[in-house]
Amino acid sequence: MRNRTFLTMALVAIFALAACTPAASTSPAASVGAAPSSSAATTESEAAVASPDPSEAPPPCAAESSQEDPVFEGVEDGAEITFWTYFLSPTFDEYIQCTIARFEETYPGVTVSWEDHQATYLDDYRNAINAGTQPDVANLSNNEGWVREFAQAGVLLDLTENAPQEIIDQHFPNLFADNLVDDHSFQFPWYQSIAVELINTRIYEDAGLDPAEFPTSIDELPGLCQTIKDATGTLCDIRLTVNDYLSQMTYEGGVEVMNEDLTEFTFDSPEAVAWLQMYVDMVKAGTVDTDALTTALDRVALLIFSAGQAAFYQTGPQLIRVVKDNNPDLYENLALAPLPLGVSGVTQPTSMAISVKADTEFPNASMALASFFTGPRAMLDFAKIVPIYPSTPAAFDDPFFSEEPELIEDSARPLAREIIENQRNIMPPIPEKADVNDIVRQAVESALFADVPAQEALTNAVEQANALIR
Amino acid sequence: MTRRFTLTPYLFLVPALALVATFVVYPILAVIFYSFTDFDIITPAEWVGTANYERLIGDPTFWKALTNSAVYLVATPTVIALSVLLAIVVNRRLRGIQIFRALYFVPAVSGSIAIGISWRWLFERNGMLNSILISTGILSEPIQWLTDPDYVLPIAMMLTVWAGVGYYAVIFLAGLQNIPEELYDAARIDGCNRFQKHWHVSLPGLRPQIVFVAVISSLAALKVFDEIYVLTNRTGGVLESGTTIVFYLWRQAFVLSNAGYASAIAIALLLMTLVFSIGLVRVLERGSETT
Repeated sequence: MRNRTFLTMALVAIFALAACTPAASTSPAASVGAAPSSSAATTESEAAVASPDPSEAPPPCAAESSQEDPVFEGVEDGAEITFWTYFLSPTFDEYIQCTIARFEETYPGVTVSWEDHQATYLDDYRNAINAGTQPDVANLSNNEGWVREFAQAGVLLDLTENAPQEIIDQHFPNLFADNLVDDHSFQFPWYQSIAVELINTRIYEDAGLDPAEFPTSIDELPGLCQTIKDATGTLCDIRLTVNDYLSQMTYEGGVEVMNEDLTEFTFDSPEAVAWLQMYVDMVKAGTVDTDALTTALDRVALLIFSAGQAAFYQTGPQLIRVVKDNNPDLYENLALAPLPLGVSGVTQPTSMAISVKADTEFPNASMALASFFTGPRAMLDFAKIVPIYPSTPAAFDDPFFSEEPELIEDSARPLAREIIENQRNIMPPIPEKADVNDIVRQAVESALFADVPAQEALTNAVEQANALIR
Repeated sequence: MTRRFTLTPYLFLVPALALVATFVVYPILAVIFYSFTDFDIITPAEWVGTANYERLIGDPTFWKALTNSAVYLVATPTVIALSVLLAIVVNRRLRGIQIFRALYFVPAVSGSIAIGISWRWLFERNGMLNSILISTGILSEPIQWLTDPDYVLPIAMMLTVWAGVGYYAVIFLAGLQNIPEELYDAARIDGCNRFQKHWHVSLPGLRPQIVFVAVISSLAALKVFDEIYVLTNRTGGVLESGTTIVFYLWRQAFVLSNAGYASAIAIALLLMTLVFSIGLVRVLERGSETT
């Protein structure tokens, strides 16, 4: 009896241990997939920037170009450097490979080992840092905060200190200054996107509206959504930036999220309450799809639009291909409009970057590769095969950017330089950003779905956030 | 007569033990260590003592996640009851019954993510459920099931039950086929109707399987993750309505980079699961001793 009891308890203990180790799913049958990671969430919210799609025209690396590659002095002989990109393979294999080939031709003796990582990029990168196998050169996201996160952790090379001025000067100054840490930059800006409004002209016109008169400011959206719902029953497909509420609050609401000394959070101001109340009112009025509003996945909301179930949606022009593939009929009835501006009057840069490992064995070779890919010639080649835009003013001098676009996904091209030049990162560096964002998320949800007054929700969140950073 | 010690059996055990040590024991020890540190994966862990456990006690989201996981345990008796019922129904010698048995096993061999995505489509605002309810006049406007805090957890539980019934029914089916036919004959002779037959013969005969299924399905319910991840689009549901303890652990480790705190949650979960499992087996075993 005792033996039986002991055996039973031993068996239970083994089960309990197995239950608490990283395991499969609730179904006892083996399920697919390891536990997905946060990078998947950021992957989807980065879809506007990280998933460009090639058009059919030119070869990935033009034999002749109006632009030059940057020249970097002092590249280490015999350098072997690793380079990671984010979600660019297999679509852009040829472009990456031919650019690397040209780089290796320019700097004989240097070899580049390239890897593309996808949904698990952020976890792979963090694990590589932990394991001591961080790549020398890596594609990181600026507006997801990856550059700042890793710069603050001290694992990225200070380019303000170490990069030659002529290399720094090849970029738009506002882009090189994106996500500064202690006034220093840790990234070369790479390809840029521009957020636009895609309009389903059928639904829009059924609601008695003219696509050419799409709202120019954020505060017109609630009225627009009510009109569309009343006329057609369609809900608005609007997303909250669930990974970065403070950023959305700042650009849309003109909110000062921290005090001047950056010692206290201040996102319970009247401006912040007004911003949050706008969304609360839309949820109460039932004019927005709450699934799209609260999803961490850009793709979810994009698919609602491309299924023809929304009147408009904010995304990057390069994702118009998703609409084209899923719903050719909608593609024929698509219009584009500039993004409505928030109270701040500026648009946030939407960009990818390339950074260098802080303690790389080959700093000059690594910086040379990073600046090669972000240089005018490589950027022009890239912009010709997919609707993304260069981070270098020189590339815009090519006639390609003044040509009349034929496809709707290229219609932002003639305006791109001006838009990018005027983009500004007006966010202060947020301490404990991920945890603070989680606090704000809970506050926003309590106001949207639990009838907590917006002021009370934000004030409670400010208290919690300040306690976190004290 | 003394036994001679032989090394051979232990040598055969070494590979398996090495695997267990590397992939089970070492990670558990590492998690125990990291639970006493502030660790964000990219910078070295900093010892903070019991700070993570103190934070756990005062963390309302942790308790909300724990409550959701406890509520999720309601799925266990539901899945057992339905599985037993299904096993009894298919335990017949009928033409085509093998096909039917294979069909109800399909969810068990389908990937949980694929199942979760299918269920998302079912419950989306423009999904099949709303379409049916609106076309039959039951609803005038679609319900946003997956962003309504009252519905997220029940929907996830329904998914778990649906996915598990087929698998557990196979276990019960095997158990039923091991019950001697004479017991059913005796029951019939004693005047038992169909229900009484199953109540007095089938269920007692299935007790070992019921204990086994109760334990593993409870543990599965306590560590539910995939359903929540897919149904809530990685958010855990508005107002943490679908956030379970493992989902919260994942969020702390991989979204918020609080791997040290996540480790403390994992240890708390380990201890709770251990206590729960031992208690459950004792209760069920005690029940079998008294009958």
